[in-house]
Amino acid sequence: MKNFCGNTRREFIWQTGAGFTGVALAGMLEDSFFKAQAAQPFNPLAPKKPHHNPKATSVIFLYMYGGPSHMDTFDYKPAMNGMDGKTIEVKTFGRGGKKNSGRIVEPRWKFKQYGQSGKWVSDLFPNLAKHVDDISFIHSMTADSPIHGSAMIQMNTGKVQSGAPCMGSWVNYGLGSENANMPGFVVMLDPRGGPISGAKNWSSGYMPAQYEGTLFRSQGSPILDLSRRADMTDPQQRRILDTLSQYNAQHALQNKDYSALNARIASYELAYRMQSSAPEATDISNESQKTQSLYGMDNPKTAVFGRQCLLARRLVERGVRFIQLYSGGAHNDDNWDAHGDLEKNHNLHAGETDQPIAGLLTDLKQRGLLNSTLIIWGGEFGRQPTAEYAKGSGRDHNAYGFTMWMAGGGIKGGTTVGTTDELGSKAVEKPFHVKNLHATVLDRMGLDPERLTYFYGGLDQKLVGVEGAEPIKEIMA
Amino acid sequence: MLRFFNNFFYVTLVVSFLSNAYVFSAEPTKVSPDFFEKEVQPILQAHCFSCHGAEKKVKGGLDMSSREALLKGGDNGAVVSIEKPDSSIMVDAIRHGERKMPPKGKLPSSQIEILEKWIKAGVPYSAGKVVAKHHGPPKVDAEARNFWSYKPVKNPAIPKVKNQAWVKNPIDAFILSKLEQNELTPALPAEKTALLRRLYFNVIGLPPTFEEVESFLRDDSPDAYEKRVDNLLNSRHYGEHWARHWLDLVRYAETNSFERDGIKPNAWKYRDYVIKSFNSDKPYNEFIKEQLAGDELEKITRDSLVATAYFRLGIWDDEPADRDLAYFDQLDDIVSTTGQTFLGTTIGCARCHDHKIDPFPQKDYYRFMAFFHGINSYGNGPASQRVVDGDLQDLKGVINPGRKPDIKKLQELEIKAQEHERLSNDINRQIGRIEDDFRAKLPGGQNDDFKQDIHKPILFEKHLGKLVTVEEYKRWKDLTAKREELKKTRPLIRETSLAVIEQGPKARETFILTRGMPAAKGDKVEPGFPSVMVSENIPELKIPEQDPTARSSGRRKVVADWIASDSNPLTARVMANRLWQFQFGRGIVRSSSNFGYMGTPPTHPELLDYLASQLVANGWKLKPIQRMILTSNAFKMGSQVSPQAAMKDPENDLLSHFDLRRLTAEELRDSILGVSGNLNLKKVDGPSIYPVIPREVLAGQSVPGSGWGKSTPEEAASRSVFVFVKRSLALPILQVFDAPDPDSPCASRFTTTQPAQALALINSEFAGEQAKILAADVAKKSSASPADKVSEILRRTLQRQPKPDEIERGTTFVKDSMNKDSLNEEDAIRRFCLIAFSLNEFIFLN
Repeated sequence: MKNFCGNTRREFIWQTGAGFTGVALAGMLEDSFFKAQAAQPFNPLAPKKPHHNPKATSVIFLYMYGGPSHMDTFDYKPAMNGMDGKTIEVKTFGRGGKKNSGRIVEPRWKFKQYGQSGKWVSDLFPNLAKHVDDISFIHSMTADSPIHGSAMIQMNTGKVQSGAPCMGSWVNYGLGSENANMPGFVVMLDPRGGPISGAKNWSSGYMPAQYEGTLFRSQGSPILDLSRRADMTDPQQRRILDTLSQYNAQHALQNKDYSALNARIASYELAYRMQSSAPEATDISNESQKTQSLYGMDNPKTAVFGRQCLLARRLVERGVRFIQLYSGGAHNDDNWDAHGDLEKNHNLHAGETDQPIAGLLTDLKQRGLLNSTLIIWGGEFGRQPTAEYAKGSGRDHNAYGFTMWMAGGGIKGGTTVGTTDELGSKAVEKPFHVKNLHATVLDRMGLDPERLTYFYGGLDQKLVGVEGAEPIKEIMA
Repeated sequence: MLRFFNNFFYVTLVVSFLSNAYVFSAEPTKVSPDFFEKEVQPILQAHCFSCHGAEKKVKGGLDMSSREALLKGGDNGAVVSIEKPDSSIMVDAIRHGERKMPPKGKLPSSQIEILEKWIKAGVPYSAGKVVAKHHGPPKVDAEARNFWSYKPVKNPAIPKVKNQAWVKNPIDAFILSKLEQNELTPALPAEKTALLRRLYFNVIGLPPTFEEVESFLRDDSPDAYEKRVDNLLNSRHYGEHWARHWLDLVRYAETNSFERDGIKPNAWKYRDYVIKSFNSDKPYNEFIKEQLAGDELEKITRDSLVATAYFRLGIWDDEPADRDLAYFDQLDDIVSTTGQTFLGTTIGCARCHDHKIDPFPQKDYYRFMAFFHGINSYGNGPASQRVVDGDLQDLKGVINPGRKPDIKKLQELEIKAQEHERLSNDINRQIGRIEDDFRAKLPGGQNDDFKQDIHKPILFEKHLGKLVTVEEYKRWKDLTAKREELKKTRPLIRETSLAVIEQGPKARETFILTRGMPAAKGDKVEPGFPSVMVSENIPELKIPEQDPTARSSGRRKVVADWIASDSNPLTARVMANRLWQFQFGRGIVRSSSNFGYMGTPPTHPELLDYLASQLVANGWKLKPIQRMILTSNAFKMGSQVSPQAAMKDPENDLLSHFDLRRLTAEELRDSILGVSGNLNLKKVDGPSIYPVIPREVLAGQSVPGSGWGKSTPEEAASRSVFVFVKRSLALPILQVFDAPDPDSPCASRFTTTQPAQALALINSEFAGEQAKILAADVAKKSSASPADKVSEILRRTLQRQPKPDEIERGTTFVKDSMNKDSLNEEDAIRRFCLIAFSLNEFIFLN
């Protein structure tokens, strides 16, 4: 019954209309979890105490949309060498349905060993490979769906059905934001397009809108409606806000019992500050040439994702809790969904991201930020060992087994956990579910996945689901 | 969780004579014999027993489920002192002093008082009875059935009060009697302007005009207010506003979510059905039956079939990884939504195992689900679209109950009908566009004549080459000819709509699914109502035998009849509570879709039962209840909080005043459009509209702009209830002001305050555009001075005469903007309009 005795039902009370007077809130918020903010008008993003000592304070989720092939990247399968074109019996389940046999597509890249740990990495990631001793690989990931729509929603929310809050929302709900002038959950998309299901991938579901991911553009004004209208100057806007606040102060005086009014007045000033703090965060003109090339910004191929990785670091420095970067967008080969020409597809996407991610790891480390930043890499699933069609190297989706990796805060670098079979068709040793990954993230952030609950629809909802899930102990430092 | 308990028992308080305490207690507070059962037990049940019940393992060793156990205390000693009740640890804990119980949030003050009174009275208990047994399979016994919300509604006596003069109708007696018991007085009546604004927004979701406020202020007839209540309740805008509340509850959306987020054709007809039902004051029991079983009723109508779209509004994965599971997910969505919306019940939580808190064994979930187990999976096209209207004679046996038609032929007809409808709609739209353009240019009298078809060609020809081009007119003639042609080829079936479709007269067999997994079939079950809601000895339910040719199993009619029956303990309570919620900003039961143990108990249980009885007594019509609420003195109270109330009742549980509230997303958008003079009130039904969504937001889609249509600027300025609801793409101005995610039911909205809202009102294209329109509209009186314009803008937004210093402040702003920021007057006024949209007085209701 412990789940019914936690920090729950609070939001339930906000939404039922009580959360209006400051006094009422002070009364309701007095438990230790939320006490810090009781004195002020209620701000759901105010910093909250974690359940236990956190190993990391920010998350950067490098989302490889479309599903990168594990056996072509990090899950070395020497048994497949020389097997190209052989038809074998293997159970697969992808967008083409369930199959019992198929034609092997031999991994198209050579593997080499790297680092102290001797980790095998393919030639797709020559730069990233140099960091294997900081990385922990999970080769035995599984998900419930091999279809992009539901699988992505599960990777982001834990459930295959839409309507639940995303991991970024949960982390912000549990911990609040350290920087009130910045959103706590930032999403940057591939310029080729958003992912399928669009906003469902950064939705706060049944939680309040504050926990929703904020779309951040890496060029121009970063956030919707953040910049002033083109014909408005700063002093002009100031004049608007000052005049407005005089009117609102007069009104608040006549309604002294309602702190919500003051909170609203304050929110205009906060918005005003965001107008300078968010562009400041995305202004990289002060970053040295050396730093910029570290992220691959001097190479047109890697410039876009490099810039986003650099921005991710800057956001971490500014206290943003959860940052999600999408590599790949829109449809077909604009993302990692290599149904046709595997080589062309993965050369493109790995080529665009290898240097930037390596740069990010280097830069975080040299600035002492890697210890407190949790990096996650992976997509919604992996790919099959066999070809999807009669001809070509394209692989269909595979949720029976795939690879994700983590690095940084609270992660034991240079480790590997779990295996797939010798073809990479399914997880065999220590299979882990998406929920285990989520539990690991929460745990590293100082949150107990069993205790981080939100009362909705008559249930204490959890990111890890009613049944719960254990963190992946093997990769935890 | 241990943390809280360490906290709880950290301070050791030595309480001696525990075993003798009862004997020694000097003069305990006197309470009535049923005090424990009536007042205390529900609180313990809801807030304490989940951790401190008679389990093998109780938290902190404290078992509160019998008097004996409670007095024994926990691991760290006693928690109740009979001798010194005030220094009992339990008192400190429930007051959230050094210890804090319940840990998840302080109890409402009224409940704290009850518990303190109970402790002072020496914790009288039901004769040694252990009441808490909610672990393992929940027990459905007489005790569970005794929980307040499962007991039959009893029309309570209207309480006597001292200040009889304040009592306008019985509602006031219930409110006042509680206030008097707590030595509080109701707030003074709201000012007339504030009251009228409150009334308008609550009833129709739109502000009054300045002129309407003025006329109200001048009207000193005794029924000045009541007249307005009646007018507003009879306005069609009432349905438009209240429909939105209902649409939240039934997770209304027009797309399916997931990868394609495909459209649900004709979903908007359900929205129109809801608007129409509220406006015609359809009895709520009929409203229920039509939505749940509109295709199985004795009298099937076009509307009753459209109503069954209720079952088709949920999310749907067209490419699920596990097809069986996906089908049960759809049923689960129906069970959860039906439970929460109509019964205030979270039976949906018992899908995988017995409910942990509420008395719903898993078996009850599957018995309840069995009512819906004839429903076919959602699907595009004929799987979820059916004939709702047509030549009933010729289609005999097709849409009549009890007959199974030639499905293949029917589907062909349905597809043909849909195609025909699409074509007609398209042609009508094109004709409408030409006619609207032309008509706008016509002088007054001719403009009026043009309404009649017969005048149209005459007027076109009269102005040919001037107000209309030759090509346009030719196009118009061709289109109208095509329309006539189409009328002749109209298929027998005239209209199809989103609707429920079953597999035939036999529903599927239903099994309890272990952990909710379709493959793990347990015992077979038959349809049945949640057992706690019916009496113990109810005979096994008999589903009437269906004709072998029937299109459905007839099961839904059985459950609909039960939910909609006068004697259902929850239905009327739940709905009466919702009416209250949307008038007062919170329900009498704050958790308006959860009337179970985990819900919040009613602050005014007798009032709730009174309203529920009245709802049934008035033939389930809502407007009489609305009228009673709106004309009560309770509704007319001001929002000022007295110092006594602030101290004794900070959460306003007792309703000593009317809580200030922020406008909802839709109210705000409609108000901005309204005060700008730009709101299109001509749209009353039909396909949804697509206001412009900024490019930055569309960029979040994998194919930017897909699934979001185009509306003319005029159409796009219609009321928010007509905005297309796309699951993966929300209209930013609505979303940022807390319009709910439509994937699951929303019983009450959040009211967040966030910088994104400020940005939306100052910087967004929407706000900028409306400011421009408002400024231009005000500037039409071109001779007006800046002060006059400022004054007019404030009058429109605040619906009152602005004070001199308010005009002065605005005028200074305009002048400074012109002199110091070098803006022209029009732009300066436009900026002032932005200020007006952000005024708290505009956004909040007193």
